[in-house]
Parts: sequence; structure tokens; C-alpha cells
Amino acid sequence: MTQAHQAAATAPAPATPSTARGTAPGATTGAPATAANYGPATRDVPRLLNQWQVIAVAACLLFAFLTAFLQVLGWQANRAAADNTEQLVRVQNIQSTLFRADALATTSFLVGGLEPPEQRQAYDDAIDQVTRLIADAAEAQPADREVLAALNAAVNRYTTTNTQARDNNRQGFPVGAEYLRGASDQLRTDVQPLMQALTDANSQRAEDELSAQDPLLVLLSGVAAMAVLWWVNRNLSKVFNRLLNVGVAGAFVLVALLTLIAVVVSSSQDNANSELRDGSYRVAVAEAGARTAANDAKSNESRRLGAQGSGAVFEEGWQSAAQRVEENASLDTLRLWQTYSGLHVRVVELDESGKYDEAVALATTVDPDGPTAALDTFDQASQQAVSTAAAATTDELRSGNSIFLVLAALTLLLGLGAAGLSTWGIAQRRREYA
Amino acid sequence: MNRHLAAARRMTLARACRSSALGLSALAMLAVTACGYDATPLPRADEPPVEQSAPAAPPTCDATTATQSYGPDAGAAQGASLQRIRARGYLVAGVAADNYLLGSRNPFTGTIEGFDIDMVNAIAAAIFGEAQGHVQLRVITAADRIPLLQADEIDIVARNMTINCTRWQQIAFSAEYFRSGQKLLVRKGSGIKSIEDMSGRRACAPVGTTSIENIQELAPEAIPVTASNDTGCLVKFQNGETDAITTDDTVLAGLAAQDPYAQVLTKQRLTEEPYGIGVNAQRGDLVKFINGVFERMRADGSWQASYDRWLKPSLQVDATQPTPVYGRRP
Repeated sequence: MTQAHQAAATAPAPATPSTARGTAPGATTGAPATAANYGPATRDVPRLLNQWQVIAVAACLLFAFLTAFLQVLGWQANRAAADNTEQLVRVQNIQSTLFRADALATTSFLVGGLEPPEQRQAYDDAIDQVTRLIADAAEAQPADREVLAALNAAVNRYTTTNTQARDNNRQGFPVGAEYLRGASDQLRTDVQPLMQALTDANSQRAEDELSAQDPLLVLLSGVAAMAVLWWVNRNLSKVFNRLLNVGVAGAFVLVALLTLIAVVVSSSQDNANSELRDGSYRVAVAEAGARTAANDAKSNESRRLGAQGSGAVFEEGWQSAAQRVEENASLDTLRLWQTYSGLHVRVVELDESGKYDEAVALATTVDPDGPTAALDTFDQASQQAVSTAAAATTDELRSGNSIFLVLAALTLLLGLGAAGLSTWGIAQRRREYA
Repeated sequence: MNRHLAAARRMTLARACRSSALGLSALAMLAVTACGYDATPLPRADEPPVEQSAPAAPPTCDATTATQSYGPDAGAAQGASLQRIRARGYLVAGVAADNYLLGSRNPFTGTIEGFDIDMVNAIAAAIFGEAQGHVQLRVITAADRIPLLQADEIDIVARNMTINCTRWQQIAFSAEYFRSGQKLLVRKGSGIKSIEDMSGRRACAPVGTTSIENIQELAPEAIPVTASNDTGCLVKFQNGETDAITTDDTVLAGLAAQDPYAQVLTKQRLTEEPYGIGVNAQRGDLVKFINGVFERMRADGSWQASYDRWLKPSLQVDATQPTPVYGRRP
């Protein structure tokens, strides 16, 4: 035991016992303390001072580390939300492009003779794009790799079956049409569930990250630290008959200030993310769904005509896809979709009135006024809309995100400062006591 | 509070691995120690649909009278069925688009053509004066034939449809317009020489056809495989999912023509398959009218011309139009 401690252990009872209760930091200071004012003889004041110092410093440091940690996580959540949004759009682009390839393949098959070279090229381009996107997606999100590997295999089977269809068709063999039917069925039974799994997982991840900002946790951390500092100051005031310890009060002010800033920034980001989720993010996701459904519809139109009179099931598929387009397309692209759907109605009318050849001619014409060109126009506009909305989402998430890092650094520095102030304030009392 | 706990959990666990050190390496390290998303769940493959074969035909059927149809009647042209078709402006015929030589879409022209289609066109021409513009072909599967006729959605079926007593209980038939027979198509060098070699081997036939019933009866040890149509069987054959295809020789000739590695076992005809035009059971007038058309085709040689064009080159046998058997009453 040190001399100071021995002295403390034998200190006389104060002439006037402390009466301060619940003194708030910032109140005016009381009368100067003297050894005679110190607590009951039974109290080990230096030891208490040490304990309070440890508690105050720990509160400041814990607050600083926890708040900075939450801010770094907030920074990371925004980055992850942007990355997951990009992955979601990438995955939806794979899905849309596959259905576009299927629409091109099935429409080409309706045309007697060799398929139009432009459509063949468009099909090949679509498959090339799908292959690249799958590779990009696997690199971007390791958690998707198993499903993407299965998707890659399924796409390979799909394209192989389509190639068999084309090869037989070029030789004039009707079995080519059967391979084509098999490929389209494969797309819907093998590929579609994988695409759905990828879409579900990535939209869940993106939305989780967009919702990851939690200002209340930051507030709770700050309030807890302030409560501890208030408690330490209250104990000091009881023992030393001072309303306020300047160091501890200064630490309280710093923590309060940091808490206020952190909560405001976190709340602001939370609101901004909510707006994004309900705004450009939702537009990107919905428009991508509309694009997939539109190509699915065109494919079903061709399959209906391929079934020649027995295509009721494909017309049901068209109607279902059309409903998804109308529910998800943006106003601009919806107008373009309606141009196509009007032409589809004409195709159906021709088919149902016994004018099958005219129906096929209308469905397959490359004329700018035909349904194929109308769907192409929708597809391009829809793809552009997805790209614009997705870029708006990710740009917003990434721009200004570094404020979280600046704030985290500031929180750490000022948190350390608050701990230092607490130490200094309690050291003053220790010196007085000594 | 649960929301915040969940949020905290998400923030600590659901983090992609990112290099985020900068000046806050310690915090960033803390943040990424629990990084990585749960792997995207691989969807479970659905159980493949079980293809149901048609129930076996009732055992009682008099094969000697099965092909008996209604005699031609000059008054049939004014019957209710013909009037309905004329009022509509076109004949609705259920056909195949994948039975090469019988009814299949020509990939070069996009039109459906073949021996069965010639029969349809002859009937339409007899009703309207010419077939062009007066025929609506509906591509149907074998299993669709009877239900669509019973529902009166189509006027006739011209899709290599075998006349038998079981079907007479459900629909009506024209007189026999072609005599086919069930055979086997196998891979060259497969070692299958006859139906006896099919024990333990897979044989494909379209669902809802007499072919699948026949193979189950003739080779009980064979493993039946079904597809929605004949060409579906060829796809399975080419993909190694079946060892043989068994159906009418007319169809097999068309399938073999599409695959140089396939051969039809020509020696043995497993069954007799008399083809008739299927009609709704209540439309006896249409049956009589069709039988009149077939009589004219015999007389003017158009049946023979059609056979010679479509089937003779592949079947490599001479054939004549079967002699009709009449006497059945509607």
C-alpha cells in the first residue's frame, strides 16, 4: 500500500458531508475541496478514483470503438448494397438475355427456309453475352458460384439442343422442331429455377444491406457512454462536494456531440437508402423483370404458332408474361410494350380466323411495323432503363459514402480525447486529495 | 429491439469480403472477420414427371369388323356437319407436324405436308371446290385426337390413326385409307434383330397410341418409354434414352430418313394398323361424305399419286388403296 493510500485509509471524516445529488455536467462548480471534505473514513478514495477513472475511460473508449465500428460497417453496407445491386442486375440481365435468345430462336424457326442472318447473329450475340455475364457474376459474388456453375451447364445444354435443332432443320428434318421445343422447355424447367434462386438471393442481399444502417444502435451506444460519465461525475461530486468535474464533463460533451453527429449521419443515410430501395433500385429490378417477361411472351407467341392450332398453353404463357410486363414496366417502356401487344393481338386474330400463314408472316416479319421489331424496340429501351436506374442506385450508394470513414476516424480520435479528458479530470481530484 | 439485434447480426455476419482497411485497418479487420454470405441455395430438381401410358384396351374387339364404316351417301353433302363446315368457311383438321412423309412441317417452306395432309386437302376440296384457303390444320398430339373430336373442336383427325373397336366406342371412322403395321426401329449394329431381342431393352412409342399397348403385349419384358409424339421418340433415340422406337412402319420410315444410324426391322410386321379418318361419333354424315371422297380418289388415281409421292420411296413396296368395308350403321 502506498503512502497516499495509507493516508486515504486514515483520512478524517469530512466536516460537511457531501449533499450533491444528480448534478449534471455543465453546472457551476462548488466550493473548493479540502481533505476535510472527503468522504467517510471507511471510503478508500484513491481506490474509488481509480475505479471511476477506469470506468469513465472504458466508457469513452468502448463508445468510440463501437460507434466507429458501426460507422465502418455502415460504410461497408453501402458498398455491399451497391455490389449486390450490380450482381442482381447482372443476374437479371442473364435471364432477360436468355429469354431473348429463345425468342429469336423460336421466331427464326417459323420462317421457312434459312433463318435470317441478322436473327442468327442476334442469337449468337445473346448467348455470347450470357456466357460473359455468367463469368462476371461468378467473379463478383463467390456465394453464387455453385448455382452459376449449374446455370452454366444448363445454358450449355440449352444451346447444344438449339444447335441440334438448327442442324436438323437445315437438312429439312422435322426432328429439328422437336429439338427446338425441347430447348425451350429446358430453358423453363432447368434454367429458370436457377435464375430464380440467383435473383431471390441477390435481391435479399441487396435489400438487407440497404436496410443495414441503424441509427438507434449508434444512439444507444452514445447514451450508454453518457450515462456512465454522468454517473462518474455524480459520484465525484458526492465525494468532493463539486457539482462538476471539468474533465468528465468535457468528455460527456464530446460523447454527446459525436453521438449527435453519428445519429444524424446514420439516420440520413438510412432515409436515403430507403428512398433508393423504393426508388431507382425498385425501378431497376422491376424493369429487368419486365424485360424478361416480354421476351418470354415473344417466345410463347412463336411457340404458339409453331404448335399451329394447339397453342392454347403457349397463349396462356403469353398472357401470364404480359401481365408481368404490365405490372413491372416503367411508363416509357410500357408504351412500347403496348405497341407490341397490339400487334400480338392481330397475330392471334389471324391465327384464330384460319389465316395461319398470314399470322406467321406477321409474327416473323422484320418490317419495322411488325411485332418482332416492336419487341426489339421495347427490349432495347427496357435494357437502357434498367442500366440507368441501376447506375443511379449504385452511384448514390457509393458517392459520399466516405463520410462514414471520416466520421469513424473522428469518433476514434475524439473518443480517445474524451477518455483523456476523463483521466485528466479525475487526476485533478486525485492531486487535490493527495 | 429484435429488429436492431437482427440488424446488428446482419451487419456483423452478412458482409462481403472487401478490402476496406485504409486508416481504419483494425476496425475494418473486425468488420470483415465474419465476412461472406451464405451460399445461394441450389434449387432442388423437381421430380421428373411420370409419363403415363394409356390404359390397356378392353380385350373384346372383333378385328374383322373394326374397319367397317358407313356407306357413302350422296345426301351427306347436305348434312348438318357439312353445312356447319361450309358456314365456317374452312375445314378444321387435327394433324401431325412431325410425322415425316405423313404430316410434317417442311422446314424450307414452313408448310405442313405429307400423305395424311393430301387426304385432308382432298376432303376440303370436295367441300369447297378447292382446298387452298379452306383448311385449318391443327397440330395435335396422338393423345389429343379423341378428346378433341369428342369436344367437337376439330372436324376430322388425319393423323395416322388406327381404326379399332375401342375407339369406335368413342368416335367414328371413315373407311380404311391405308394399311400400315407396327415395326421396330433400332440403332444399326445394336444386335436387335427382332422383337424377341427386346427383353430388357427400352422401346419408345408416343403416349396415347396403340403402339405402346402393342409393345407391352408383344414384348412384356421390354421397358416401355413414352414421348409426346413420334419425333420425341427420335430425340430420345438420338440421345440414348431408348434402344428402339416402335410405331407404324410409315412413321418409322420417316424417322429413319432423318437418322443415318437408324434402321427399320422390315421383316416382321408386329401388328396390322388400318388407318381411318377420325370423326366425332355424332357426325355420321361427315363420315359418309369422306367415304365418298375416298371412292373418288380411288377412281381418279389421286390416292395412288399421293402414295407414290410420299410413302413408296421410303417403304419401297407397291400398294393400292385398301378396299373399303361398309355396313356399319350410325
